[in-house]
Amino acid sequence: MFATLLSLFLRRLAVAVPTLFVVSALLFIVLRLLPVDPAAMSLPPNATNDELAAMRSTMGLDKSLVTQFLIWLGQILGGDFGNSIQYRLPVWQLIGDALPATIELALLSMVVATIVGLAGGLAAFYFRDGAGEAVLDLGSVVILSLPDFLWALLLMLVLGVWLNALPFMLRLDPGIERPVITGFLLIDTLLTGRLDAFASALKHMVLPVLALGISAAPSIMRVLRSSLLDVYQEDYIHQARLRGLSERQVLLRHGLKNAILPTLSLMGVQFGFLFGGTLLVEVIFSYPGMGNLMIDSIRNVDLPVIQIVGLTYCVMVLLISTVVDALHLVLNPKLRAR
Amino acid sequence: MTSDLSRRHLLQLMGLGTGAAALASVAPGLAWAQTKDTVTIAWPTDVPTWDPNQRTFPDGQALFKLIFEQPIMQDPKLNFVPGLFTEWTTSEDGLSLGFKLREGVKFHDGSPLTNRDIRFNWFDRVKESLSGGNKLDAANTWKNIQDIELDGDYAGTFRFGAPITTAVPWLAFMANYVVPEAYIKSVGIEQFRSKPIGTGPYKLAEYQVNSRMVFERNEDYWGEKPAIKTVVVNIIKDPSARAAAMQSGQADLTVNIPVRETERLGKVPGLVSELNPIQRVVLIQLRSDLATADQNLRLALHHAIDKQALSKAFYGGGAVPLSVPAPPGTAGDVPGFVFPYDPEKSKALLAASGYGPGKPATLKMAATNGHFPSDFDIARALVGMWKKVGIEVELETIEYAKYFELNRGGQLPELTLYSWENATGDPEIFTGYLLNPKMPFSPWRGEQPGDQIAKLFVETNTEKRLAGYRELNRFAVEMGATIPLLQSVQTLVRKDNLNYLKFGNGWVLAQTMTWG
Repeated sequence: MFATLLSLFLRRLAVAVPTLFVVSALLFIVLRLLPVDPAAMSLPPNATNDELAAMRSTMGLDKSLVTQFLIWLGQILGGDFGNSIQYRLPVWQLIGDALPATIELALLSMVVATIVGLAGGLAAFYFRDGAGEAVLDLGSVVILSLPDFLWALLLMLVLGVWLNALPFMLRLDPGIERPVITGFLLIDTLLTGRLDAFASALKHMVLPVLALGISAAPSIMRVLRSSLLDVYQEDYIHQARLRGLSERQVLLRHGLKNAILPTLSLMGVQFGFLFGGTLLVEVIFSYPGMGNLMIDSIRNVDLPVIQIVGLTYCVMVLLISTVVDALHLVLNPKLRAR
Repeated sequence: MTSDLSRRHLLQLMGLGTGAAALASVAPGLAWAQTKDTVTIAWPTDVPTWDPNQRTFPDGQALFKLIFEQPIMQDPKLNFVPGLFTEWTTSEDGLSLGFKLREGVKFHDGSPLTNRDIRFNWFDRVKESLSGGNKLDAANTWKNIQDIELDGDYAGTFRFGAPITTAVPWLAFMANYVVPEAYIKSVGIEQFRSKPIGTGPYKLAEYQVNSRMVFERNEDYWGEKPAIKTVVVNIIKDPSARAAAMQSGQADLTVNIPVRETERLGKVPGLVSELNPIQRVVLIQLRSDLATADQNLRLALHHAIDKQALSKAFYGGGAVPLSVPAPPGTAGDVPGFVFPYDPEKSKALLAASGYGPGKPATLKMAATNGHFPSDFDIARALVGMWKKVGIEVELETIEYAKYFELNRGGQLPELTLYSWENATGDPEIFTGYLLNPKMPFSPWRGEQPGDQIAKLFVETNTEKRLAGYRELNRFAVEMGATIPLLQSVQTLVRKDNLNYLKFGNGWVLAQTMTWG
């Protein structure tokens, strides 16, 4: 098992290197083609033309695009991600603050999507060909037809403003100090034994998590139901029944076990989308993650931050896909045997 | 076997997630419980850096003023009053400014404030910036500084190579705060930006970029201590989200939300809304070349604008229409001078330049979208007003951050909708900057009124200088070098039991807040 997993990771690494190179080159070129002068942006408005020329030279902007890219790549590989034009802070520091928040948001949203999606899929399968299935179908269509940012607005309006039941700004209540150990707020609050802060952080995450999770759930539900329908045509299901297993045992031991694999593949893809989907939801809830950082950087044409945030998204998607494949290997003996 | 275990783990994880979600949902309504020791402010922007002297950034001043202080301060009526300087005198020739520093003031690390800190800020750092080091936006203002002579620990004299006639307003203006020399030299500027300290009434206790800042009262503050112990500033960039935060009670005060939302929230029980005129003007910046080289066209553009209608439509009638680029009551205002709204005159001016129904004047205008309240809506309304008199204007959106870059490269269109804030009210920092062809703010490159401005920059007699600016303001408008529109308003919504001291320039300072 370990050798198989190691082989998978090495193969993925071999693919990741050229992928990241191409993505970074594309990002670099596209951003450099924008009618924006990073040198001018990083100087005060009253800078002279000489100062501007000096800054262009310092930033390497007077060199060819290829040379600029190679210089930038060299800096990235050397661990120098540059400084934000807007905040005058190292980009790694901004990413270091924002990335854990987005990972927590995406993971919890995926948990919600998984629970709702699996439960919905099982229910739809259980009530197949009946009124229950029609209701669930309608529900999933309604949910799918609203994008996550609209869910965010709707939830904010209903649960946040009208019912005044849940907070919808940022991550903690006003009087609560934020502990910083790993950067992951939920983990840090637990590590410091601050259950009040943990509850507060969790409460602040309910609405953004629901907005993202609800949107991702219907696809999982539909694929699981279809997979179950397919699996139930297989001989081993009939044989399981002949062996006297109850319907529940058939479903849990044989049906779900085999139907979960395509669902898992979809969940991997969904998680990638969900990570990207945090962009607008974070802005709506003023959630201090990568999406908010990206939008803010775009608004302020903060090129060094845009580049690294873009690359980070790419790395995260590659990681997610590798983890999903590893899960496939763990769950599917056929794949390990290949 | 392995796959069974993995699934089990997966299910256990799901269980944890469900439990967590359940835990979160059992305590609704407690999220915003707070005491009168705390105030929560929903603020639209983060600071670009915690070095308060690096960038001139109007929206960050209320935040900087919690931690840092200035040599000269302004009272609510915008008079200059002692800050860290207890006394100051300017020489008649404008070449020196003597000062006495307040004694017994300590930075947040306990170190004393002395005149060496003043020299560090207004001489050492300025020279460093001008010689290509760490850039400060205000360095150019102080470029003529030759020395700051120190007298003991608490007195000194600024010496200038050429008159700086606005030295006093600048010492109370943006990017002119006292930061500690010893601390910065000890920890380095990067560390200072991460953990800033000043002499102000609050200390920065927590900061998360683009998200939240927490300020704790400075118990060793030299002046009157603030009534509220903890100030939480939540950065919420979306105006609708700020409005929602107020409505749900999750914030105690917010600013800069749309006027309609402000009026609506004012009717919600427990909330109060305000439309406060501030020292910010909304105007159209013009190029002196391209189509706007034609004075008739420039004046036609101005006569076609119904400013009262703009104020009514976008600011609930609270924004005062302007005829000169200076807010009413400031030294640059010209009482009695009104540039009339007169579409017929506009058409006549266009006809005089050969434009007519079959041959409309065509121009381009740049406008920001979201930089100040209703900016893009105003731009669209202007396009509509101009169309009625026969001027076709193509509208394009620009990011505010790009204005200077486009201007420097001569890439701005003929017209740009612009807003300019000058908390001091001094006319040099309005017209003297906005229409000065030697400065980066103005796309106008004509000889006039540039020559007049150059003379006023070295006029050391204050009365003559201010009278000169009033004359200049009228002249600039009559020649069509600028089109002032409105005095901007600040929208503010607060809980009705939260009081604050209202400043004429729109500062909303937490150190003046009290719970009723």
